[in-house]
Amino acid sequence: MATTVDGTPSETGDGASVPVNRTTATGVRTPRPRGTGPELAATPLVVRRREEEETVVTFPALVWKEFLAGLAAFVVLLAVSIQVNAPLLQRANTAITPNPAKAPWYFLGLQELLERFPPVMAGVAFPSFVIIFMILTPYLDRNPSRRPQDRKVAIALFTIYMCLTVCFVVIGVFFRGMAFNWDWTRILGHPGVKPAV
Amino acid sequence: MSARPTEGNPLRAFVAQVWGSIFRHGLPTTDKVAARTALTNFFLHIHPVRVKKSAIRVSYTLCLGGLSFFLFILLTISGLFLMFYYIPSVDQAYQNIKDLQFVATFGLVIRNLHRWAAHGMVITVWLHMARVFYQGSYKPPREFNWAIGTFLLLTTLLLSFSGYLLPWDQLAVWAITVGTNMAKYAPIAGPYTRYLLLGGRNVGQGALIRFYVLHVVALPLIGFILMVIHFWRVRKDGFTGGL
Repeated sequence: MATTVDGTPSETGDGASVPVNRTTATGVRTPRPRGTGPELAATPLVVRRREEEETVVTFPALVWKEFLAGLAAFVVLLAVSIQVNAPLLQRANTAITPNPAKAPWYFLGLQELLERFPPVMAGVAFPSFVIIFMILTPYLDRNPSRRPQDRKVAIALFTIYMCLTVCFVVIGVFFRGMAFNWDWTRILGHPGVKPAV
Repeated sequence: MSARPTEGNPLRAFVAQVWGSIFRHGLPTTDKVAARTALTNFFLHIHPVRVKKSAIRVSYTLCLGGLSFFLFILLTISGLFLMFYYIPSVDQAYQNIKDLQFVATFGLVIRNLHRWAAHGMVITVWLHMARVFYQGSYKPPREFNWAIGTFLLLTTLLLSFSGYLLPWDQLAVWAITVGTNMAKYAPIAGPYTRYLLLGGRNVGQGALIRFYVLHVVALPLIGFILMVIHFWRVRKDGFTGGL
């Protein structure tokens, strides 16, 4: 259905533009207010709304959803916080280096790269490249379509990047032991050795 | 409820006037009232009055952007409570955290909440980025908002990283040592950047106070300003909606 700017449904059916009727019943044309918003448009703006583009008022429709999502997140976090304590090791001692010494988990991907590439590459070039490439993504991706079937290359590349990131973090957290060497035993335990009770 | 005093009971009229001066419109009984309420309320004004139904479907947004913002607020509030007990000194910081855990009422829960919400925010912001990418929502006219989002992700990581040092335990000091060692490798600027960040050659009192100030003032402020711009642009550019 087509609606004119002021929200009144047009009577001439789909797509036809209807001039705004500025003539009163007595036939006297009312003066057009100059320089105000849509009045300047030569033909009235026609807003076409397809069935799937139905709109709702954000208050309460959206606010209610946000409230529920926030409440659920808070309840989950509170439950976790009551059950699981945040880690606190011994007081900092610069004389004792823990083995392995690990960065926070979200930087373990970088630490993993540092094990494999020259430091200038892993510590500076790669992260800088990722950040700059991320910022430039919308300007480099010239494909106007948002539909997944039209964006196979972009989605494939991004998915590979995401998988690599997750893999590096998982490896860093669970599979790196002494001196950051590969270590299955952190997850699987030592073969043939029963854990002491 | 109207702001105009009603006839009869003067107390009721006074209450009505006070209420009406705070909330200019009533509860959203009809779409029209709901629209007016949203327009005249500072907090609700963060949203447009109307959105496409498909744009706010939970299966579409997964609530990730909203949850990131919620966690930011939760972290600000729980962080404020922690600040009452925490002194950023190498002699006192660790004992303050111990006191929070064993002495202060609800200190343990608030500290846990702050820690887990921080990890949660890193995850939700990251997933929000993935969601926006997969739905192509960064495409024109939203190119620059994606760039702001990138900086918000970096700010989130730096906020979490700077908070990591504050408990002053073995985990904190050595994670920051490893993390800041990465900055060292940049050609020319690297060692200076590390020195600037740590306020010295090693992780010590200089580093603690710098990280503390970054964590409680500078980075939240930067994050807040970026968020305001991010949300404002979301409103101005319109919601993308279903594919």
